[in-house]
Amino acid sequence: MVKGEFDELLRDALHNEVKDAAGSLQGLEARIASELEGRLPRLRPSDRFRQLLAPTRAGRIGQLAVIGATAAAFLFLGVFIAHRTSLLPGPEQLAPSLSASANREVLFVVPALDAKQVAVVGDFNGWEATPLSDDNHDGIWTANIPLSPGRYEYAFIIDGRWWGQDPLADEYVSSFGQYSSVRYVGGGGDGA
Amino acid sequence: MIYVESETARAKPCILVTEEANGSVYRGQDEVSLLRASLNGETEAWGEIVARYKDAVFGLCLGFLRNRADAEDVTHDAFIRAYDNLRRYRLEKRFSTWIFTIAANLCRNRLRYRRNHPVVESPPNLAGGSDPAVIVERDDRWQRIREGLSRLPYSYRAPLVLRFYNDLSYREIGEILSIPEGTVKTRIHRGKAMLKREVEREVIDHG
Repeated sequence: MVKGEFDELLRDALHNEVKDAAGSLQGLEARIASELEGRLPRLRPSDRFRQLLAPTRAGRIGQLAVIGATAAAFLFLGVFIAHRTSLLPGPEQLAPSLSASANREVLFVVPALDAKQVAVVGDFNGWEATPLSDDNHDGIWTANIPLSPGRYEYAFIIDGRWWGQDPLADEYVSSFGQYSSVRYVGGGGDGA
Repeated sequence: MIYVESETARAKPCILVTEEANGSVYRGQDEVSLLRASLNGETEAWGEIVARYKDAVFGLCLGFLRNRADAEDVTHDAFIRAYDNLRRYRLEKRFSTWIFTIAANLCRNRLRYRRNHPVVESPPNLAGGSDPAVIVERDDRWQRIREGLSRLPYSYRAPLVLRFYNDLSYREIGEILSIPEGTVKTRIHRGKAMLKREVEREVIDHG
């Protein structure tokens, strides 16, 4: 057998074996797509927040919709803040979206009218979603999360859409075209 | 670190493109767009990825496992596993290398399972086929090679399949099998020599 002939034979043997069996692969893509319908790739603790949503055009349009709804909802938020500041001590007046009480219970607040699901993700929860609730259906979603003093990056997920620019955050960080909010709890740049 | 969402995508054409890809809107899209859409839960986009890679993944599985039913199962599982773990995929690596690594790991698990739960051997002609009496000489040589491959140890068979079916570089084979590039070269060289001996021995045995 001349040099290279065996390689060719091996290559052909393998390729033709697959070709002969190709019938069993018919429709595999449709079967898998249907099996996965309604299921998202898993979010793992090591994932970064920027992986949560790809910046597709659909994503941006969705974000614009969220921005519009959110702007309207800030009217309600103003009322809400006024109400809360009358109940809570000083720092909360400065940072109504992320405010800490004496025992480091941090309040996350985001207005999201008509939203079905709102969650907060951040480095404090490994970027795993912690749900917010809107018990009185006024479009203001809240969650209390105990946090130790430090710097925290976070964003809200409103009906699956990334909402990384909390207007009441201390600062923002941007990577790969997406913003996240930053708050300081209990010290330096103190927002809480 | 570059992730799927990065604009600096390193998209290479897939190795084996199946012609029967469905006629959806995703058909003409580049690989990175399809992966982004898949991340957003657009399962039809993932279907397009499956259509593009199913032959390559199935060929790998069939070559590794030497059993068609197992190869079909593992091919299916590899695409499901890859979708579930899509957020872990980084564009620094070719997508083909990533999906092949998943498939290779699943094959290894399946072979371990088969060692403990043996099944009746598949007939020699794994792909079905012709009456031996009318097999032309070339087909007969293919068949002998396939049977020889089935007898090779996995550690030699796997690099041969990745090299001669999937047309991968030594470096990529090393990445997929988690072995150094030098070891890949050695195993391919030795594997081919072993396979030749197997094929020649069979010719002598069956005369």
